[in-house]
Amino acid sequence: MHIADSDDAVLVRRVLAGDTRAYSALVARHRVRLTRYAVRMLGDPADAEEALQDAFVRAFRSLKRCEDPARFSAWLFRILVNRCRTIGGQRGRRERLVMSTAITPEPGVPHPEDRAAWREAIEWALARLAPDYREAFVLKHVEELSYEEMAELTGAGISALKMRVKRACDQLRTLLSEVQRA
Amino acid sequence: MREERDELIDRIAAELRVVPPLDPALDARIMAEVATLPAHEPGGVGAAVRWLARPLTLRVSPIAGLALAAGVAALLLWTGVFSRRDTVALETPAAAPGILLAHQGRSTVQFVLVSPDAKTVTLVGDFNDWDAAATPLHRAQAGAWSVAVQLVPGRHRYAFIVDGVRWIADPTAPPAPDDDFGSPGSVVTVGA
Amino acid sequence: MTASKTLLIAAALLAVTAVPSVAQDARLARRLDAATYAQVQGELDSARLAGLPTEPLVERALEGASKNAAGPRIVAAVHRLAGDLASARRALGETSTTAELEGGASALRAGADSAALTELRHSRPRRQLTVPLAVLADLVARGVPADTAARFVVSLAPASDEQLVMFQRNVERDIALGAPPIAAAAVRMTGVTGLTSGDAAPGPQASPPRKP
Repeated sequence: MHIADSDDAVLVRRVLAGDTRAYSALVARHRVRLTRYAVRMLGDPADAEEALQDAFVRAFRSLKRCEDPARFSAWLFRILVNRCRTIGGQRGRRERLVMSTAITPEPGVPHPEDRAAWREAIEWALARLAPDYREAFVLKHVEELSYEEMAELTGAGISALKMRVKRACDQLRTLLSEVQRA
Repeated sequence: MREERDELIDRIAAELRVVPPLDPALDARIMAEVATLPAHEPGGVGAAVRWLARPLTLRVSPIAGLALAAGVAALLLWTGVFSRRDTVALETPAAAPGILLAHQGRSTVQFVLVSPDAKTVTLVGDFNDWDAAATPLHRAQAGAWSVAVQLVPGRHRYAFIVDGVRWIADPTAPPAPDDDFGSPGSVVTVGA
Repeated sequence: MTASKTLLIAAALLAVTAVPSVAQDARLARRLDAATYAQVQGELDSARLAGLPTEPLVERALEGASKNAAGPRIVAAVHRLAGDLASARRALGETSTTAELEGGASALRAGADSAALTELRHSRPRRQLTVPLAVLADLVARGVPADTAARFVVSLAPASDEQLVMFQRNVERDIALGAPPIAAAAVRMTGVTGLTSGDAAPGPQASPPRKP
């Protein structure tokens, strides 16, 4: 069976058996989704890349501690969540890449810039949230996890998580409804 | 607590669900770092003990079941997949290409290419007279090939040759656009 | 100057550079056909007489040989590089090192202006330009327009080489992740200690960006 066709559990067992090459298939399989979370949480692509690389390398090093290889995805994601918390805390999100700065809309120019400006506004608003509100919002509405999954990932209680999601939504509405009306 | 959904939140979430563009070289960098770590050891007493401790669901008599378990565990210990420990000729400390700063007049640069299907990979550049036989890369774990080279200050152009015929640029390095011969290449600069 | 004196000086120059040129000759002779070898030798002799470094030219010829390029193409590449090195020396000054000339040649080839190179030299009169020139060429290779890249690098010239390296790597990563090249370079400039572009400011913005 080709490496790419194997499920996570099979790949994890192969890596644990000494076939390090199989790990590249796990990286390729999970990197996209993890990239989305890291970039949304940290904002800065360089920080996100550092978090991703850290998480994958740590996961490889401690792979023996993944108790259920079939749930490698969730185990890896927990490592990334913690890395993002650490890096986000260290860097204080001091510098955020504003992707669309160079785009100056001109009269009569068609709409692609609208989409870019809207995305930029969302990223700006997300960056204004407190880290735990941002984390809760991204896990719930972007990664679409259940509150039970979020609790397992973050170690927070379900009630606390629901409160954070609600506060995040309230703040995003306040920040972005003004942009919508502009 | 009421679930917080409305059209605005849905629009925000939909926009954020779009995956940001990826650095195409990130996978290679991850595997290059993983390649420097010791491979996991197959089998081992710990694994056997854990295996034995798991409940079995074989429909056999209790005595036959225990004998079977012990026999299979012994077999696992004996026939586990053992990885080849390739010797990687790396000089440490080494840095990745791009722009580097020399120490005592030279800088050690580690060149890495992840190419699991390659049979040979060599490095050619203006530091080895573009000689395809001069600087072979060594195969490490997970299809990562690497070699460390000492470079003097200056701008060095280079490329990899895979299986003796295919010239490729280094995906993790700046491209060398000033190529007169139509082949892909990369640049590493060592500052004085 | 009489013809005989010119010949004497030329012979002296050739003699002074003869020892390394023998080694270069052997490498070229092994890899080039006779006709190409002769023409490349001519280019090397001209470069030596002009006081230009010849090793970059030899390497360019060997590169062409490795890539199985046709003889005329190899000769043209060597000739072109010699011209670029001469232009770089005019812009950067007669005392420039080989590494600086190679960097300058790459920057010029990428589209940077000679005036920008001269301004870079004036901005960093007593320090090596190898790294700033490399950053300039790499920025252009990544899609930043040459004049903009030159402006950025000149204003970053007072920074240390370490800061410049970090700047270039950050810009490269940002572009790889989808940022427009100019925006990436402009934003990362504000991260270089003690220098600001006067444009994008770091940290949270006070008000939301306007939706057009």
